[in-house]
Amino acid sequence: MLELIRPGIRIDFVGKRNVLMGISVIAVLATFVLLFTKGLNYGIDFTGGAEVQVHVPAAWDIGQVRDHLEQGGMAGVKVQQIGEAKASQFLIKAQGDEKSLNLISKHVSDILSKSLKSGEFEIQRVDVVGPAAGSSLRTSGFMSMFFALACILIYVWLRFDSRFAPGAVLALFHDTVLTLGVLVITQKQFDLQLLAALLALIGYSNNDTIIVFDRVRETIQSHPELSMEKAVNRAINETLGRTILTSLCTFITVAALWLFGGKVIEDFAFTLMVGIVVGTYSSIFIASSFVIFMSHYLERKDKKAKASGTTKRRRVVMVQPEPKAN
Amino acid sequence: MSRSWWGRFCLLLFFIVLSVVYVFPTVSNLDLEKTKFPFKQKINLGLDLQGGLYMVLGVDFNRVFKDTVERKSSQLVARSGEKGIVLTNTKVITEGLPGDDPQISVDFDSAKRASLYDLVKKEFPDLRLVGEKAGQLELGLSHDFRTQVREKTLSQSIEVIRNRIDEFGVSEPSITSQGTDRVVVELPGVKELDRAKNLIGQTAKLEFKIVDAKGMSRTDLAKLIADIEKKNNFSFKEGDRFSDYVRKINDLAKGQIPAGDEISFERHKIAGTETESARTPYLLVSKAEVTGEDLQDAYAARDGETGSRPVTNFQLTPRGAVAFERLTGDHLHEPLAIVLDNVVQSAPIIQSKIPGGRGVITMNRENFESMEKEARDLAVILRAGALPAQLDFLEQRVVGPSLGQDSIHKGALASLIGSVVVFVFVGIYYQVSGLIAVFSLILNVLFVLACLVGLDATLTLPGIAGIALTVGIAVDSNVVIYERIREEIRHGKRFAVAVDAGFQKAFRTILDANVTNAFAAIVLMMFGTGPIKGFAVTLMIGIVTTLFTAVFVCRLVFDLYLHLLENRKAKSISI
Repeated sequence: MLELIRPGIRIDFVGKRNVLMGISVIAVLATFVLLFTKGLNYGIDFTGGAEVQVHVPAAWDIGQVRDHLEQGGMAGVKVQQIGEAKASQFLIKAQGDEKSLNLISKHVSDILSKSLKSGEFEIQRVDVVGPAAGSSLRTSGFMSMFFALACILIYVWLRFDSRFAPGAVLALFHDTVLTLGVLVITQKQFDLQLLAALLALIGYSNNDTIIVFDRVRETIQSHPELSMEKAVNRAINETLGRTILTSLCTFITVAALWLFGGKVIEDFAFTLMVGIVVGTYSSIFIASSFVIFMSHYLERKDKKAKASGTTKRRRVVMVQPEPKAN
Repeated sequence: MSRSWWGRFCLLLFFIVLSVVYVFPTVSNLDLEKTKFPFKQKINLGLDLQGGLYMVLGVDFNRVFKDTVERKSSQLVARSGEKGIVLTNTKVITEGLPGDDPQISVDFDSAKRASLYDLVKKEFPDLRLVGEKAGQLELGLSHDFRTQVREKTLSQSIEVIRNRIDEFGVSEPSITSQGTDRVVVELPGVKELDRAKNLIGQTAKLEFKIVDAKGMSRTDLAKLIADIEKKNNFSFKEGDRFSDYVRKINDLAKGQIPAGDEISFERHKIAGTETESARTPYLLVSKAEVTGEDLQDAYAARDGETGSRPVTNFQLTPRGAVAFERLTGDHLHEPLAIVLDNVVQSAPIIQSKIPGGRGVITMNRENFESMEKEARDLAVILRAGALPAQLDFLEQRVVGPSLGQDSIHKGALASLIGSVVVFVFVGIYYQVSGLIAVFSLILNVLFVLACLVGLDATLTLPGIAGIALTVGIAVDSNVVIYERIREEIRHGKRFAVAVDAGFQKAFRTILDANVTNAFAAIVLMMFGTGPIKGFAVTLMIGIVTTLFTAVFVCRLVFDLYLHLLENRKAKSISI
């Protein structure tokens, strides 16, 4: 039996929870500061604008492309080289009102066809998003993220109970924010694809958390004598092998996409990679620690209610009976 | 093996065979049309993979409502005049009002107040009373009517665009509405953005032209066209612009057809598709006496006399009515061609002189349903004469075919590399059980692809990433099960019991984990368009197939493995 994590391992994750929670809180706060100062590098999907990807003869360098565009009357556009130098592909980015954006691909092809024959250059991709469309995409995009989080909160609440649900959602929030933080730092262009990657991560990271939770619940049932801390720590340790193995496998597939998948999905795969790392971290350190916090909090509240003599009792948190395994 | 095992095995075998049949046309290089293979459909590739054009157009409703209110106000003034009610100082107000709710303001003679109210109530149900002060009436469009206008405008725009895109000869165009004010146009294989924009932006041309039946017989005309095509070695191919073809035919036919005439075609489509099945040529008198500019409205109805035959009614403007009366009077019992964008839509025979600018086009089909459908379609096409509203280009995306091809290669290669690394890793880590997991993972990918074909879904580049991600996530289910089995073995259970317990205990965890994944996929499906939607669909399918392979397939193979171990009286299991 090949074993990555030896059975019976007992790393004290829970004991370090205050330190790790502290680090995460600082990281989340720092990300918020970054989001509001540096900000995400929104792509044209959300800001409106135009991008034209062209392929020109290998003899042309970026300066030549820029010169031709400027001489043709297209001042103020950004030109950048993409891919390897020998591929001679350039991305032309422009901002402007709806009317000028509408004509951009025609402009570029007119300018290029002045100095090149028709077979010598190719317009490989054109993306034009009007400013109005951009802002509506941004609204619906963030709404969808909120919606996904809400759905998962409700599901976890129903499936587990009030000790678990806040931890799951907190972990998701943590993962989303930190992944956004990395995107701000790296200044990756935030477009619809990356938003989709974030949404997929919400599902993936929660999947990870749920598996640990499942084990916590089971441990509480089979070992009622254990304190919450001990039960959680045991559950994390017992699922550690699985958590790392799965994350590793998913990470490998996404890393392959990042390395070999081509320019178009490079950033998409990158976002998933970051998210898998952050998500694995949070399901080990953040989600379960918060379960301990919530259960202590609810107990204290319960005691207080009893002490003050209030008859209204907190809804009893019952653990759902596990089907007996033979 | 037990009977139940063989039953499950047969079910799995059935799924595998079915999936292979579904996936084979996509992965095979054979030209299946020529073979007897029962299933020929290939996987749909998204625009980002096969190259093509994606546009989102917004309908300018403010303009539409302003035009509608203006038209209503002139109708109201005209009808009031006929009834002896004089309306003065008629204005359309837009200032200080929401852009989609302009209003009419008119001054009236207060002595006629009652009859004006009566007129509005009886003849203008589409108007709503907004306010009245000292001989001045303010009217707006009713809520129902505005909804109706919105719907009609949107569906008309789509119809007009569809008609125009036919010119392009695009193989599988998709023109759909998005929300209440947008049109999404997807044209696979098209990369000329500017040409497509011209086509969609330009005004449609509707003309009524007399068919010159005396000039040449229909068989002679067909023969002439065939000769021209043969002599000059060309024909219309899908992807060509149809009007280019017609122009060429007419250029080459000059001198062989009567002067002042032109050749035009009616294009028949296979029901429910955009594919052309046949063309009927017509010899038309070039000069159009009446055009789409003279058309006010068209709608499908039942024949006034018998009340049973579906017909298409149309209404011309007063100027058009005069011209139409003269035209029909001069050409009694001759066919009149209705030409849209230089293509003959139909050529009914003129039964009588048509005064008043109202016309009826009777249908000529074998059964009632097809007549009714044709009447409705014709009305739509007539109305579609011109775009009903200004359309703005909100989003335009074009992917060239070379970039798409490149994406397919790289995406497939990356997924393959990632999967193989995972397979090797799992195989080494779990040994024989690992090989079982690899088998179920491979089947998983096969099932995902088969589902994509079967559900007629679209594979996009993020969708390919979704398949790779599915492999990663599917491994999870196997890992959860195997780690459970290992635990049970460590607790000293016999391996057969441990396998059983492992599968049972893992099931709930796997279900929970996949359900939360599904939530994210569903939200993505609702929100996303184009490539993103492709990602969500693949992810969703992947979740279902993962549940199936991990719980059903894996268990099935494990049962076989356990059986073999027992036969060999083995003491341990390779996991």
